[in-house]
Amino acid sequence: MKKNRTMILAFILPTVFCLLFMYVYPVVRTVIMSFFQVESLTSDTSAWTFNGLANYAKIMGSSGFQLAMKNMMLIWLVGGLITLALSMLMAVILTSGIRGSKFFKAAIYMPNIVSAVALATMWVQYIFNYDYGLLNEIVQLFGGEKVKWLGLDLKFWAMLAAFIFGSVGYYMLIYISGIEGIPRDLYEAATLDGASKVSQFSKITMPLMKGIIKTSITFWSINATTFFLWTKMFSPVNTEGSTIVPVVYLYDIVFGGKGIIERDAGAGAAVGVVLTLIIIAVYAIMNLTLKDSDLEY
Amino acid sequence: MANYHEKINWKKEAKLLPGYLIVTTWVVFAAVMLFWILAASLSTSREIFTGTVLEFKSGLHWENYATAWNSQNVSVFFANSLLYSVTASAGVLLISAPAAYVLSRWKFVGSKPIRLGLVIAMSVPAIMIIMPLYSLAVQWGIKGRILLIVLYIMLRVPYTTIYLVDFFSTLSRSYEEAAYLDGCSPMRTFWKIMLPLVQPAVITVTIFNFLSVWNEFFMALIFTSSESMTPVGVGLLQIVNAMKYSGNYGAMFAAVIIVFLPTFLLYIFLSEKIIAGVTGGGVKG
Repeated sequence: MKKNRTMILAFILPTVFCLLFMYVYPVVRTVIMSFFQVESLTSDTSAWTFNGLANYAKIMGSSGFQLAMKNMMLIWLVGGLITLALSMLMAVILTSGIRGSKFFKAAIYMPNIVSAVALATMWVQYIFNYDYGLLNEIVQLFGGEKVKWLGLDLKFWAMLAAFIFGSVGYYMLIYISGIEGIPRDLYEAATLDGASKVSQFSKITMPLMKGIIKTSITFWSINATTFFLWTKMFSPVNTEGSTIVPVVYLYDIVFGGKGIIERDAGAGAAVGVVLTLIIIAVYAIMNLTLKDSDLEY
Repeated sequence: MANYHEKINWKKEAKLLPGYLIVTTWVVFAAVMLFWILAASLSTSREIFTGTVLEFKSGLHWENYATAWNSQNVSVFFANSLLYSVTASAGVLLISAPAAYVLSRWKFVGSKPIRLGLVIAMSVPAIMIIMPLYSLAVQWGIKGRILLIVLYIMLRVPYTTIYLVDFFSTLSRSYEEAAYLDGCSPMRTFWKIMLPLVQPAVITVTIFNFLSVWNEFFMALIFTSSESMTPVGVGLLQIVNAMKYSGNYGAMFAAVIIVFLPTFLLYIFLSEKIIAGVTGGGVKG
């Protein structure tokens, strides 16, 4: 087929422009900005002053950022373990031959489709509500005392539970597609040999799903790093130490939050770069460890 | 696989009982939550607080929806979200479909870096791009709905292009050869023959673009500078925050239902297509 240069140019240019304008330019400028002292986003580049790694030193030394990183790690580790384990459990159940698996699959994935703001509002205003919430109704049913789920000490875990509930469906779909890709006759042979369901899972399903599990860990890591909406919904007006995460910290110092006196766009850019480096590191680690696990079946 | 004509094998079902229990509990919990919110959206604040939501003693309070829609501005938020979702998912096709076509058909200077760039762009976190874009928007004085429309279109370009490249690659070149012999110009061939051939992929990607723009929150929060351009997510956050003062819980839950419903309905009709789309393309071990 003949190459038609005019057509190629006309067809590709808008996309190239979009890449440059929406991604290349902003990323480069954000990285540069992280090495400069920039007070406000709207200040002219002539007002920027170079200050090396001072922005990074500033955020690393800030108690707000340290708290945010600690919360992020908790979300990543605790939330990740629970979410991925629950997703795997659901995937195994739904591929075990139960009736209505299509319906259950669609219902469990549903929270991923609806507005997360609406979903978070349902949790904050109903499930965790002190006066009329579902959890306290259940607690009282068993004769317990009402619990302040959104009080200082429980808020983080309440938020994490709601986030996990919304996330399970997505990872479940990934795992289901992985399990369905494993040839059935492997299980049939194992059953004939007298292997139990549990040992079939640990000896067949898990090893053959290594690649997919790694993909899901990568996705989860990115989700935990860019965590923002749920904190905003659980602490809508004032950022609180119990729920702060790095993106919220960035949002507050760049765009202003209650109690933030001086804005610092340069430090915000440094937060962005640190988070991006974490994501790149996750990709790199997963790629390096992927190679030795390529099982053929 | 469940086969409904198959005779129920009770021994087999009994073995699966724990599994049934777990997924049923999960789904019942979600259903209780939705039904209660729906009931609360038709109740008064007093009924909500006294725990008598499901009794409807004072009747169904449809006026909660009127309050949310009119005086709490949900109508404005809703119209904005609809505008953003529709224009962005249509606009991105105009940019991405032609690009995906030429990327799938020819190797040319820069075609490899462009493809790589698009893949990388898909995983660039929003926090790395919003700050310079915000400065530009202020500097150039771009405000209002057009700002979010343009941003959303460009935000969806990498994903849409990469998604469509795969589908154009599967089309045989004999279509173009036949069209060429019939004297059809290459551009006409694309719009009249090739694009209609990938229609199923275009529909799937449009559903995902629509959902993603409808539910987008981070950029909306940053770039929304006035009530008249606020989409549903940010609007709902404002309603919830204002509720401490208004105290109208019924209307707030009505707003939740209005925001929740469009994508939920879309999902009820398209769940199979959506679920197939989630794991169909990108996810591989």
